[in-house]
Amino acid sequence: MTACGGSEDGAGQGSAPKAPATIPELTKDPLTLSFVWFAWPPAQALEKFANEEYRKVRPNATIKVNTVPNANWHDAMFTQFAARKTDFDIAILDSQHIGEAVTNGNILDLTDFVKNNIDVNAYDPYLLAAYGQFPQAETGRRDENASLYGLPLLGDTWTMIYRKDLIGDQAPQTWDEMISAAQKCQTDHPGVSGLAFHQANGSDAAAVTYNTVNGVYGGNLWDAKAKKIEGVLNDAAGQEAMDVLVNRMKPLTAKGSGNWFIDEVNAAVAQGKACIAFNWIAASGGLLDPKQSTLGKSREEILGKLGFATLPKQKTDLVPLGGMGMHVSAYSAAANQAEALNFMKWFEQADIQKKWAAAGGVPSRTDAIQSPEFLNAGPFNKVYADSVPRMRDMWNVPQYARLVDIENTGVNAALNGAKKPGDALDDIAREQQAVLDASGRKGGGGL
Amino acid sequence: MAVSVNEAVPAGPVRDRTPPARRVAGGRGRSVLEVVLLAVLAVVMLFPVLWMIETSIKENRDVYAVPAKFIDFQVTLAHYRDVFVAPGGGRSALSVAFLNSVLVAGVSTVLATLLGVPAAWAYSRFTLKAKKDQLFFILSTRFMPPVVVVIPIFLMYRTAGLIDTPLGLILIYTAFNLPFTIWMMKGFVDEVPPEYEEAAMLDGHTRLQAFRKYTLPLLVPGIAATAVFALIFSWNEFVFAVFLTSSDSVRTAPPAIAGLIGGTTVDWGLVAASSVVFALPVLLFAYLVRKHLVAGVTLGAVRR
Amino acid sequence: MSDAVPLTTDSSGQVATVTPPARGRSRRLSDRKLAVAFITPALLLLLAMSVFPLLWALYLSFTDYSATRGGSAGFVWFENYIAVLTSAQVHLRALTTLIYVVGAVALQTVLGFTIAYLISRRTHGRGLLTTLFLVPMMLSPVVVGLFWRFMLDAQFGVVNSMLGSLGLEQVEWLTRQRTALASLIVVDTWQWTPFIMLIALAGLTAVPRYLYEAASIDRASEWFKFRTITLPLVWPLLLIAVLFRSIEAFRLFDLVYILTSGGPGVSTETLSFHVYKVAFLGFNTGTASAYGILMVVVVIVLTQLYLRYLNKLKED
Repeated sequence: MTACGGSEDGAGQGSAPKAPATIPELTKDPLTLSFVWFAWPPAQALEKFANEEYRKVRPNATIKVNTVPNANWHDAMFTQFAARKTDFDIAILDSQHIGEAVTNGNILDLTDFVKNNIDVNAYDPYLLAAYGQFPQAETGRRDENASLYGLPLLGDTWTMIYRKDLIGDQAPQTWDEMISAAQKCQTDHPGVSGLAFHQANGSDAAAVTYNTVNGVYGGNLWDAKAKKIEGVLNDAAGQEAMDVLVNRMKPLTAKGSGNWFIDEVNAAVAQGKACIAFNWIAASGGLLDPKQSTLGKSREEILGKLGFATLPKQKTDLVPLGGMGMHVSAYSAAANQAEALNFMKWFEQADIQKKWAAAGGVPSRTDAIQSPEFLNAGPFNKVYADSVPRMRDMWNVPQYARLVDIENTGVNAALNGAKKPGDALDDIAREQQAVLDASGRKGGGGL
Repeated sequence: MAVSVNEAVPAGPVRDRTPPARRVAGGRGRSVLEVVLLAVLAVVMLFPVLWMIETSIKENRDVYAVPAKFIDFQVTLAHYRDVFVAPGGGRSALSVAFLNSVLVAGVSTVLATLLGVPAAWAYSRFTLKAKKDQLFFILSTRFMPPVVVVIPIFLMYRTAGLIDTPLGLILIYTAFNLPFTIWMMKGFVDEVPPEYEEAAMLDGHTRLQAFRKYTLPLLVPGIAATAVFALIFSWNEFVFAVFLTSSDSVRTAPPAIAGLIGGTTVDWGLVAASSVVFALPVLLFAYLVRKHLVAGVTLGAVRR
Repeated sequence: MSDAVPLTTDSSGQVATVTPPARGRSRRLSDRKLAVAFITPALLLLLAMSVFPLLWALYLSFTDYSATRGGSAGFVWFENYIAVLTSAQVHLRALTTLIYVVGAVALQTVLGFTIAYLISRRTHGRGLLTTLFLVPMMLSPVVVGLFWRFMLDAQFGVVNSMLGSLGLEQVEWLTRQRTALASLIVVDTWQWTPFIMLIALAGLTAVPRYLYEAASIDRASEWFKFRTITLPLVWPLLLIAVLFRSIEAFRLFDLVYILTSGGPGVSTETLSFHVYKVAFLGFNTGTASAYGILMVVVVIVLTQLYLRYLNKLKED
């Protein structure tokens, strides 16, 4: 609990208190282990799954997954962290929130615990790093000397959703092919738009969209070592990506789709209004629900029309890393922290990960990802398995919330004609750089 | 009801009497025009409410239909069931949030009234030092944008352990409703002649007894009107609720309803049904005291 | 902080249990005591919940304190204020807020007064009409924001659907710079026109009848009566309503948060929404406090000026 103070720039080591290397003795009294997440189906799935399965080993424990509105997720967790008192024991942080939480000393350092209790070789190293490591790992790797502050809960990436009945069974393989297929489909089928993707200025919607295009066009979000964004994000590749997004992709989207996020894209697909769409895998389950869909009266009928594929490649093959890890609140009671550690150890076992996969979760252990339980649980799960080696994350720094807001509003402005694409990207790079540079400055920050 | 608005306000101008001008030739055309204009405005103002009610009884497939379905849709009450019953059975999170709203809004309204009415009476009856300044000061505490106040309140509650508690919300809502209650009630008290109390005191009652037995009963309509406005505020408040509470067991309905979007699919039927259910208590209360609403605003506002 | 609670319950309990003091000689004294006893609890609560936080915010506004980073607050004097006042980002939000406040309040004043005037001229169904028109005002901004977002959706919204039936082009209500701000104004107007209507109606029904009758005898035109009798009498009340709406609109947050979340880009970000971002995205508590204090100062100064103008108007 000696977590206050903290290093101001957060680039180096954090000030998080350490979790014990071995799990302390667990209580025999009834105990409620609380999580915090945002309101979406995986949260309900987790609560149901954990209560059914975890209680088999710990009958006196009850799992409660508190949910907040998605738009309020970061604020809700970090205001509680600020209060130095949390009503949750396990925070489900977005991978990029780790830096802020570690720097402020809000979550436990799990390095020693992981060494003693978790089989790190069972994971793709980058997944382990993305949901736990700080300072951030290089894309695709894990720094084995760096500290770990979390363990994977739910993996995720974007899937391409395409209408087999409109553009054919074969998924487009390159970004160019994808755009021309969408173009053709839109021309051939009036009333159906070529593309649907996230464009909203809330959460990380528009930012992830730009980052994805930036990735496949060989761009970089920043030079992590030099802490440089200006000149990196808006280099030639970055500008090309922005041009592709605004001038080639946006014209193929539905009119007024400039505030779409997960649910609007899903609605467009379910209503048969999009040829090709992009969405998070963990959010795609509802597409197969005949009650919400006009594409068919049964799951099979819908699957006859919808195809799920990995993202097309262009200059490179990067895809966005989504999903979240579990992190232990530094402010919850000792008994609850012990239970939280025990839960995490239990959760990361091979057979439990497979059961989690079958219950609708997206595991991170390689054996679970490759298991038939997972691959057969949903048509998009193979997409996830194939995407794992291609993933790239955003910046995991304490200033993440501001960086992503700058990018969201900038990209959203470009998509909706409020700014010219080139100017928007230059503005984003300049403002983000200012945020990184200003981290040590006194007064007037945050404007 | 037709006369209620008149009853509430002294000296209504056109009660039960056609204005003379209406009898003049051309007055009829004008009157028709007025009725038509009023009808159009009523339709425009009420359409969203009707659309909300319609959406709440539509199947989700029809909700998104283009062109929109106005009458030819399957009626379902499933969304209303979902408001109260969780998917797996048992109480839904929304229904818990509704109960929290009842607790928080109800108690804070009662508290604001209990604190505000006596204060308003005192401000109205007695000469006090710097009364005008005190009153403006009281009013000005309502000028602060909630988003600004929420930061120090948050820090304060952190020390006091009031974050994520119903009491925390009740206190802040009471404090936000007090200025309004005092101002509005002072208007009502001013309307009651002080002579009533003077007379009662000559009969041997104390000032307090006089207030309780003679003035207070006359204030009931005003209290009702004031309470409606306080209730509307605390019932609908979002900013404090979303920043000062986080757990399902404490959260009030506005953030809970806001939480219905931003998942993976938006169940607009459920959003509409919960909005309707959530609006009903306030509408009912407002309907019950409708007579006094106009009067309340007059008295409260005229004196400001 | 919670000191205020037991205190308030004490004194309201006192109301019922106080023993009647001796009559006559001690009356004056007990009046003062009574006044103090009645006013103190309310003032204490306001001090604790409104004034104290404001003073705290005032203190924080001179520091570089951050609520999450913890540690001690460094004193930075007026740096936060200078940063806020000179920030182009803030100027942009101020302009947006100004357009929004002026647009919304003007629109709802005209509409609200029109409706009130039309209702006041009806002899039947006035109570019913009034109650129906009041409904939007009773709804939570959350509900209003969510539902209008649904209705204004360019693809599936009922508004565009109706425009389509009329053979008109679809409008991107929430995703174009101009239309998004206009939509915000329209939605706010929809919700708060009833408030202006209620106050205007109160004013209209209070106009003494004999004035109209006298004018009728002189065969004055309706317009003449409206201009010389109705408007001058309702005007001061209407100006008060405008003041209240302006203050509320200036602080607008929740509707923006839900309807557009400030988009497209930042073109519908109001000052309150910007403060929220400063306060909760970067947790720059000091800067956000300075920002908020400046907003409060603006409101108080403008309100005082406006009230002075109103008083002058009354005296004339």
